[in-house]
Amino acid sequence: MSATPLHDIWEASASQPFLPSIGKSAQFTVGFTLLSIAVLLTGLFGLNNTLKNLPLYGLPASLAFGFGAVYVICAVGVYV
Amino acid sequence: MRLLRLAVLAIASLVSADVNLTHESRNILPSTFKPAQNFRNVNLVRNINLEKSYARETINVVVENVDAQPQSEYFLPFEQSSLGRIGGLEVRDKKDPEKAGFLVDVVEVDPYSSTEYYKITFPSALPSKEQLTLSITYYTLSALSPLPAQMGQTDKQYVLHTFSAYAPSAYITSKQKTKLKLPGVDVPDATTLPAELNADGKEDPQKQGTTYTYGPYNELPAGAIQEVSVRYEFTKPLLHAKLLERDIEVSHWGNNIALEERHWFHNRAATLKNHFSRVTYQQSAYYNPPTPALKEMRFPLSIGSMDPYFVDEIGNVSTSRFRSNIREANLELKPRYPMFGGWNYSFKVGWNNDLKGFVRRAKGASDQYVLKVPFFEGPKQAEGVEYERVVTRVILPEGAKNVHFETTVPLVSNATGLHPTFMDTIGRTTLTLTAINMVDEFRDRDLIVTYEYPFAARFRKPLVIFAGLLAVFAVSWVVGNLDVSIGRKQKAT
Repeated sequence: MSATPLHDIWEASASQPFLPSIGKSAQFTVGFTLLSIAVLLTGLFGLNNTLKNLPLYGLPASLAFGFGAVYVICAVGVYV
Repeated sequence: MRLLRLAVLAIASLVSADVNLTHESRNILPSTFKPAQNFRNVNLVRNINLEKSYARETINVVVENVDAQPQSEYFLPFEQSSLGRIGGLEVRDKKDPEKAGFLVDVVEVDPYSSTEYYKITFPSALPSKEQLTLSITYYTLSALSPLPAQMGQTDKQYVLHTFSAYAPSAYITSKQKTKLKLPGVDVPDATTLPAELNADGKEDPQKQGTTYTYGPYNELPAGAIQEVSVRYEFTKPLLHAKLLERDIEVSHWGNNIALEERHWFHNRAATLKNHFSRVTYQQSAYYNPPTPALKEMRFPLSIGSMDPYFVDEIGNVSTSRFRSNIREANLELKPRYPMFGGWNYSFKVGWNNDLKGFVRRAKGASDQYVLKVPFFEGPKQAEGVEYERVVTRVILPEGAKNVHFETTVPLVSNATGLHPTFMDTIGRTTLTLTAINMVDEFRDRDLIVTYEYPFAARFRKPLVIFAGLLAVFAVSWVVGNLDVSIGRKQKAT
């Protein structure tokens, strides 16, 4: 065993740098689009407030808002 | 939070000037302890490098086991008063410098004893009558004191360094000498020792350019001390940081590593005899003579750094320049005022980097990542910077677990905890590492951290928001369909 095991892990992983799913330059576009979709779907849900529309509009709106919020806050410099 | 920390710092410095005397990593030994005379220093050469604002000492010593049994523990004594100022002590086998350093720790005899020891443990016991060449390196902080302690604004500064002509040793030393490397030839005073002490019958010190040699000396008993001092010109700042706090924040979602350093600097140089004269300062600004005032700091950052900031207690400091291209990223800062002797300045600097160059997915393990960053950066000054205490905090993504670290910087404590900040539900995993008595020569030492970041933890933030918003929709549906009309209920037909 080497005296610097973690350094060996670092060297061995040289071919696998961290790759983000969304790069820094695209964060705002992606986040803003998702937030817009969320606002739009929330509006549609508000127009017709029924149980059927909850999964139809509410669910995708929440999902879009969840990811959109994370990307927008990263895009403005609060890296979460 | 910041105020509180400043208050704590102020109190700590009031209570004792030598904060580092009460540090964490000591083993308490019985007060009767005295290292057994298992070794003999066959030959010892000690180099004291005084070219920077701290003293770097290198002791190259051939030790011989004079005991009948194999021995593996070698002790190095220090005065109690100087122990709190010694740091970065590393021991290597001179014949095999590639190998990792030996295990070193501080042992405390008892709090009132005048001598304390560093214990050096050899990787394998040294057999009887065998020899080993050790290379011991350490740094002494606050080693230079300006003499005279007050000077005019444009005068030359002279500093005094006091040390023992005999190297610190808990064992008999057969032959030794001490070499001093001074920054220049302007040396008004150096203690002379009579020729009788010297093995070659010469009067000490022997001068050769900027190198002064005391010795060689013949056999000396353990703990022999011969105090000498040297006073020489050093018209440079004696930059001393009481505290450096460094935050390394890793964000997988943001593809970003955010670094921030908060410095509390003090200039130990000679204080001004009169008031600060702005006219004299402006006059000398054009031909830029050597001065003990700190005027500028340079932070060479890693390539690709971006969005730097330089803020002090008042706010943004506009006298900074950031030169960034594909070959370098240099942050050049001018403090809000030139920092003369006895003056303080505290500030913070920060910058961002893409995560790509710092984090890798560990090979052979899913969800495991490796992070490699410098332990601390700080300014790179020609005259050197000394740090009383460096606290590096690695803030990993929320939910990271199984954190391991590795660094060649000698640490005094490490702890893992949680740091709650934006969009967190439980708080981010943090690793806090403390080192004391560091100098800027350690600024390129790496810190490697591995951590596990499971799939579930990664999606915690968007899913928490998702669940929250879905609950809002559900509540709005329930509330929206409540019948709150007054009067008779309409019959459904």
